[in-house]
Amino acid sequence: MPSSQTPPAGSTALDPTAIRPAIDDARIIRTSPAALRDELIALRGAGYAMLSDVGGVDYLAREPRFDVVYHLLKLELNGARAHRVRVLCGVPGVEPVVPTVSDLWPSADWAEREVYDLFGISFSGHPDLRRIQMPAEWEGHPLRKDYPLRGPARERTPRPSFALKSNVAAGTPAAGKTAAALQRQIAAARGQATVGSAAADELAAEPNAARGAQLPKDGSK
Amino acid sequence: MVPAPAGALTMDVVEHENNRMVLSMGPQHPSTHGVLQVITEIEGEVVTRAEPEIGYLHTGIEKSAENLFWTQASTVIERMDYLSPLSNALCYILGVEKLLGVTELIPERAQQVRVLLCELSRIASHCVWLGTGGIDLGAISSFFYAFDMRERILDLNELAGGARMHPNYLRIGGLRDDLPAGFLERLDALIAMYRPRMTELRALLQKNPILQDRMIDIGIISADDAIAWGVTGPSLRAAGVAYDVRRAFPYSGYENYDFNVVTRTEGDAYARFLVRLDEMDESMRIIEQVRKNLVGGPIMADDTKFTPPPKETIAVSMEALIHHFKYVSESFRVPPGDVYTAVEGPRGELGYYIVSNGDNRPWRVRTRPASLYNLQILKKIAVGELIADMVVMIGSLDPVFGEVDR
Amino acid sequence: MAVESPGQFLLGKVDEVARWAQSSSVWPLTMGLACCAIEMMTATAPEYDLARFGSEVFRASPRQADLMIVSGRVAQKMAPIIKRLYDQMADPKWVISMGACASSGGVFDNYAVVQGVDTIVPVDVYMPGCPPTPDGLLYAVNLIQQQIRQGGRGGILARA
Repeated sequence: MPSSQTPPAGSTALDPTAIRPAIDDARIIRTSPAALRDELIALRGAGYAMLSDVGGVDYLAREPRFDVVYHLLKLELNGARAHRVRVLCGVPGVEPVVPTVSDLWPSADWAEREVYDLFGISFSGHPDLRRIQMPAEWEGHPLRKDYPLRGPARERTPRPSFALKSNVAAGTPAAGKTAAALQRQIAAARGQATVGSAAADELAAEPNAARGAQLPKDGSK
Repeated sequence: MVPAPAGALTMDVVEHENNRMVLSMGPQHPSTHGVLQVITEIEGEVVTRAEPEIGYLHTGIEKSAENLFWTQASTVIERMDYLSPLSNALCYILGVEKLLGVTELIPERAQQVRVLLCELSRIASHCVWLGTGGIDLGAISSFFYAFDMRERILDLNELAGGARMHPNYLRIGGLRDDLPAGFLERLDALIAMYRPRMTELRALLQKNPILQDRMIDIGIISADDAIAWGVTGPSLRAAGVAYDVRRAFPYSGYENYDFNVVTRTEGDAYARFLVRLDEMDESMRIIEQVRKNLVGGPIMADDTKFTPPPKETIAVSMEALIHHFKYVSESFRVPPGDVYTAVEGPRGELGYYIVSNGDNRPWRVRTRPASLYNLQILKKIAVGELIADMVVMIGSLDPVFGEVDR
Repeated sequence: MAVESPGQFLLGKVDEVARWAQSSSVWPLTMGLACCAIEMMTATAPEYDLARFGSEVFRASPRQADLMIVSGRVAQKMAPIIKRLYDQMADPKWVISMGACASSGGVFDNYAVVQGVDTIVPVDVYMPGCPPTPDGLLYAVNLIQQQIRQGGRGGILARA
């Protein structure tokens, strides 16, 4: 359940990668799309033969907005010892484009497609850049921070969604109401002053009321 | 008609020249080990091109985790690699503990029980692999033997955590509860049952001429290919590269246990088969060592900033009650930063890149899905093999689609 | 039931026998999606043994299956495929939505998971659980068998 408590203002970091604690999990290199390929080719020359992961992060308020994160692995002594490198490539939010590395490492193929699918970051030179997790005709890039968790279709419906479908709840006063509306209803029943307008209930309840009307009473579909 | 993605092999084009046909295998298929669609172009019986299509189980776990507290996120994360859920939970929890800076505070008993349960998860996962791999080839008895052994492990999960498959037993800071009474006796019974059962399974399968015919020289992955394609785990070790995260980047006290990293050199499906069988034996060795050396003591780190108070104090202490209330309703905050942790899951290097911005929820949990990279190489190794071997190859790569698609 | 003629009595008996036969050999479709699929497989394993209730085999082809056990979370990409498989199944057919994710979206109230497979196909038995235990699945199959024998579908008996 999303947290109803918010942290004090100013206590969250805009760029966590800049102020990270001293954890020795990987050597960290920060680069830009223009310098990315040279950086990775140099690392491959230095023995980092495996590109173990390509992922994306959306920092929303930071400039550049996105980070494409590459993790590389160097194996020594036939794998008995290993070293990790993390390459962070900052990508701007407007027209995000990064050169592909799928010609250098075949492992990047699907990983870059996934970053494209979920963040909308294009990889120039990728042989087959299309959606991989979402259906081909899906609109929007779900893992972006401005994409609603429950998707645009269900964004403003109240939770939990089974209350909308249940043939029992459809007949009850609670069905299709937002939490605020229920509070007003309770306050009104107690004879207390209500805050907010009843019009807001209607607005939120409208799509759900229409849904409720379509529900057959015997529960069959 | 399911719309064909642009740029891929299209399914509604059937070419009749040269006996070439485009065939869609899946996503509903008895032998694809989950919801996988492999669009294959075959010429007669030989595969000329194979394009796996994934995403049929995309659950948005990473987005869900961004909207849950740090402690709650491990419940959805546990459901990624659903055959060994405790590995997912452990990897995520280790990452969060690193961000909190409390890795040294985890008590030794908690670490040992974590290792114990993760190795049990590994054996349970390999039991499913073995059973379903056998069924794909028509060896149905081995399915029953393997799943019966898995039942004993799920019994232990249920004893410890309450649920068979997703026990949610590991917590940031240690474990939820100490091992219940009767757990160690059942564990001893499992240890006693293991060797005879594995002998039976090996007798059924390992030297079986049909299995050998179907697996030897099928789906060969060379060491260079494996590294270039990001393959890890038994598939990499069967190609000759002895990379095991438990050895290369030890966690949770794995440096204290004596176990071998099993490798082979042939790189074919049979080599992967043997590697996984031997890995089950090595896991049992680790479990026996943990059982012998299990220490007593606390199972939760002694720092109230990120751990809940002991359950029995809540009824008697006001401070504990308030602490518990705040812990459950608004959780603790993790200092800003990013970290990448990896564990050796049954499929290979399972990693999480966790970013915290100082909030009480993760900012980003990026999974390094072992199965995604293991499955991707199917594009390469399927070419030139028979369509009937596709099932063997997918089984030998052992993908779990909860992890591939998330 | 009230019988007006020997003919009706005979037809009623044939009906009963047919329903008894159907309920005693419900063959599920292999519709395993996620974690619940593993528990479904475990239900066929020795400890729980679904076969003794008549579900001797799981058919891979929807044409040959009676029961679709939707076991696991239904992703957006998979939804049209489940509908297509349901349409391909021959009548009479029944659906168990196994697990919390198939019944209502489960723990995943987000963009990617269809919030209940009953938005796509009609469901006869809902099984909560994450995942439900295999003996729960046995109970659900028993409920389906009851529904078959009684000739109805849905209603209060559908809560597993």
